[in-house]
Amino acid sequence: MTASVLKRTLLLLGLSLYTAFASGPFVWAAMMSLRTTTEIHRSHFALPFPAHWHKFPEAWFNSNYATYFGNSVQVVVTAVVILTVVGAMAAHCLARYRFRLNRVIYFVLFSTIIFPPQITIISLFQILVQYGLYNSKVGLTLVYVAIQLPLTIYILESFFARIPSDLFDAARMDGYSDWEIFWRVALPIALPAVATTIILNFILLWNEFLYAVVLITDEDNRTLPLGIQRFIGDTQEDVGMIATGLMIAIIPVVVVYAFFSEKLIQGMTAGAVK
Amino acid sequence: MAVVTLDRLTKIYDRAHAPAAEDVTLEVRDGEFMVLLGPSGCGKTTTLRMIAGLESITSGTLSIDGRVVNGVPAKDRDIAMVFQSYALYPHMTVRENLGFGLRRRAVERAEIDRRVAAVAGVLGLAGLLDRKPHALSGGQRQRVALGRAIVRDPKVFLFDEPLSNLDAALRVSTRGEIAALHRRLQATMIYVTHDQVEAMTMGTRICIMNGGRVVQVGAPIDVYRRPANTFVAGFLGNPPMNLMPAVVTDGPGGRRLRVGAADLDLPAGAAPSLAPGTAVTFGIRPEDVGDPATTGAHRAGVAVEIVQVERLGAETMAIARMPGLERTLVARIAGDAPFTIGERRTLSLDLTAAHLFDASGVALRPEG
Ligand SMILES: Nc1ncnc2c1ncn2[C@@H]1O[C@H](COP(=O)(O)OP(=O)(O)OP(=O)(O)O)[C@@H](O)[C@H]1O
Ligand SMILES: [Mg+2]
Repeated sequence: MTASVLKRTLLLLGLSLYTAFASGPFVWAAMMSLRTTTEIHRSHFALPFPAHWHKFPEAWFNSNYATYFGNSVQVVVTAVVILTVVGAMAAHCLARYRFRLNRVIYFVLFSTIIFPPQITIISLFQILVQYGLYNSKVGLTLVYVAIQLPLTIYILESFFARIPSDLFDAARMDGYSDWEIFWRVALPIALPAVATTIILNFILLWNEFLYAVVLITDEDNRTLPLGIQRFIGDTQEDVGMIATGLMIAIIPVVVVYAFFSEKLIQGMTAGAVK
Repeated sequence: MAVVTLDRLTKIYDRAHAPAAEDVTLEVRDGEFMVLLGPSGCGKTTTLRMIAGLESITSGTLSIDGRVVNGVPAKDRDIAMVFQSYALYPHMTVRENLGFGLRRRAVERAEIDRRVAAVAGVLGLAGLLDRKPHALSGGQRQRVALGRAIVRDPKVFLFDEPLSNLDAALRVSTRGEIAALHRRLQATMIYVTHDQVEAMTMGTRICIMNGGRVVQVGAPIDVYRRPANTFVAGFLGNPPMNLMPAVVTDGPGGRRLRVGAADLDLPAGAAPSLAPGTAVTFGIRPEDVGDPATTGAHRAGVAVEIVQVERLGAETMAIARMPGLERTLVARIAGDAPFTIGERRTLSLDLTAAHLFDASGVALRPEG
């Protein structure tokens, strides 16, 4: 009895410390987002009194932020939707159907994960220029889909492969075509895994900087991470404004996470697949 | 209502291996309860899946009501199947599971609700319609799986070992329910199992398979009484038939056998006349081996040594060794027989119930 209480206390203590450690930078940035740069320079860790809420509309309107934000939403949401649908279909296909070269295709797809982006980015730049996709949101979206697809398929394939094939046979006996079986049986059952990849891809692509900075130079096509970079001048940094910009940028991530993580936790605990 | 005809159905998954099913020829009559019975890996599931349309047919023809359906996809064959794993859709409620097949077939909403409610009533699922499968017990899941087949009112029902995941008590009661269901619906049903009790009690006819081939088809009791070969004899019955090597020796009617050190004169009704020197297999069921107290006209006593006794209460299994034989002889004696291990005594064999098989294992039947 006492031993279990002690264990619980220690566990809670450990978790609290870790939470404080992990959320520390976030809280700090949040506080700075409400303070001016001068205030921050005076005292780095002071509480945000008085709170300068007007910095948020300022960051949004004075720094082309609405454009960056819109671009990011457009590129990332499109990429995530394509990734989810194409990734799930490919994973279902690789997990379910027996055809020649199944494993070869799977391996080729997956093996591209080992290349760091620095290796391919110059040639990718060349290719995009040739196809007229350089400096365009469509080009960046396609690149995002391409870089995240292998991992997405990898995660989903292992989940789809665990769905008992009897379920698909039962659906065939119930009169459904392969296409309908994917949408009405496979995908709903795989929802926990699909939600995981949505969160993962969204967060990764929302924060993506390297490809964006190389492939986009046009002011009107910049995404958020590039926009935040613009606050960093050559000689001086507007630290307060960067913090405000970061806070705005974080909101969609939190929203996506909150929305899909309920599914995530449900999937981890309920055991959708018997 | 349908007749299912399998004509030399063959399935080859992989050229490197023997066919999973080979030349399976079988006619399942209208309204019949046909049981496919055989040891693990004999091709029962493969055959069933070919009938269902879940597996392509390598060669041979499959027809339903005289129409060849080899190329007809599963969804258009009007067949329902109950899977061993139940295969309930985990993301749907019981109601949705039951109605899923009807929804696809463009049945009206009200009609679906009516049929689902009717089936749920019959199977005692009415209170569970809004639950998901993970919140059901094994027996309840099994009922939902049954219900999903019944609600569609298909031409043919297929079952692949539907009871194997249930505990013993539930298996017995569900067995009765499926049999009752068959009587009520009068539908053609094909039922795969490797449980001989299920086969014997449920089947109108049973089809014994081994190594991908059909070995014998017939009413359960006929197959039990007249096994076509040593495989069936050794497979059906628990414990199975005693099979011993024997040689025909000189004697009246060519029916004198030497089994180990014993000489047995078979009655004319049990075996044909054979030339002396023919090597055969002599078979006798454990229940036809008994206590010498019950000596009849055609019972022969053999001297044995009891090596093991299993008392089951209602009956006693005595395992005995006959002189000159490797194989032991199992006797099944009603009541509590006073045998002891190591005891030397006489057991009597009811030779009217003896079976003979030739060197290749095929049953030898008496002439006429
Ligand atoms: N998809 C497959 N690919 C290759 N071989 C298979 C496949 N399915 C079954 N087999 C082989 O076919 C043979 C028959 O299998 P089947 O499943 O029909 O046996 P079964 O009689 O149903 O056995 P059990 O009683 O164990 O279910 C086995 O040797 C099996 O290994
Ligand atoms: Mg099987």
